[in-house]
Amino acid sequence: MLTDNERKRYDRQIMMKDIGEKGQEKLKNAHVFIAGAGGLGSPIAIYLSAAGVGHIRIVDHDTVELSNLNRQILHWDENIDRNKVDSAREKLSELNPSIRVEGICETIGEDNVSQLVDGYDLIVDAMDNLPTRYILNKEAIERNMPFFHGAVSGLEGRAMTVLPGKSACLRCGYKGPVPREKFPVIGVAPAIIGAIQATEVIKYIVGMGDLLTNRLLRYDGMSMRFTEFKVARNPQCDHCANL
Amino acid sequence: MSVKINLHKTHRQYTNGQETVEVNGNNVGECLKELVKQYPDLKNELFDKKGKLLSVLEVYLNGASAYPDELAREVKDGDEIHLLVMLAGG
Repeated sequence: MLTDNERKRYDRQIMMKDIGEKGQEKLKNAHVFIAGAGGLGSPIAIYLSAAGVGHIRIVDHDTVELSNLNRQILHWDENIDRNKVDSAREKLSELNPSIRVEGICETIGEDNVSQLVDGYDLIVDAMDNLPTRYILNKEAIERNMPFFHGAVSGLEGRAMTVLPGKSACLRCGYKGPVPREKFPVIGVAPAIIGAIQATEVIKYIVGMGDLLTNRLLRYDGMSMRFTEFKVARNPQCDHCANL
Repeated sequence: MSVKINLHKTHRQYTNGQETVEVNGNNVGECLKELVKQYPDLKNELFDKKGKLLSVLEVYLNGASAYPDELAREVKDGDEIHLLVMLAGG
């Protein structure tokens, strides 16, 4: 049940016929795991908090650095040297005190991923490297949890939604290890991709619209074009072939 | 077969800024070979020392992933190839 305060807070989205009070209750009861509190994690967490997702766990091992502030809009100058998850939790709780936000300052790895995502409905990818993305993708597949992928570089980005066993996963096109590199980026790119990921999460929770499954959406800010590419499940995929 | 290749922006520095290049070939591999013939500096950006496509590269043929065996995929007149680079940032 929604409270009177919640009915007022979410009035404009409850007005949407596809959401309504039932959809808002689904958002309130949802448990969302956000992997990363940086450039992508910031807009994802802000929009999901504002929309009333009731339970958010955000995980990141980093502290806020000056060079983060061009894009990681959850963190401000006064937060430099603080744990990103503490900085994030504070802002999100002030934005929406009616939701529960938990921050965990840990490095996501094969050894702890299962424990970290336990009890959550879905995983949102806001990582800054591919190896950890594959760890999260695998965990999502094994738990039959949706996985909402996003990545950026420069003024470019991409997003794809994975429904295990039903659509291509992040690993389906794997060709081998990719080196970790420091990447160039300006804040508007993760803002756009993060907002797309948050849109997908909201649609999934409410049960409305068409998800970005078997489709890779690519954004090129330089030419201001969105391009969609079809992707398919790989019968030999080492993560999802057995589903 | 005449095929248009759409280059990723990181590759355009090797094609004098050209976003697309017209090539001829019967499959994706032949098309990429001709691309490298026209712009030899692209070779190391697309292939490793053994001639295998780099892991960071994704090939899409007419808007659909060409994975796996991308290089063997047959092409026909008017087809379009997109070369994308995997993104890792967040």
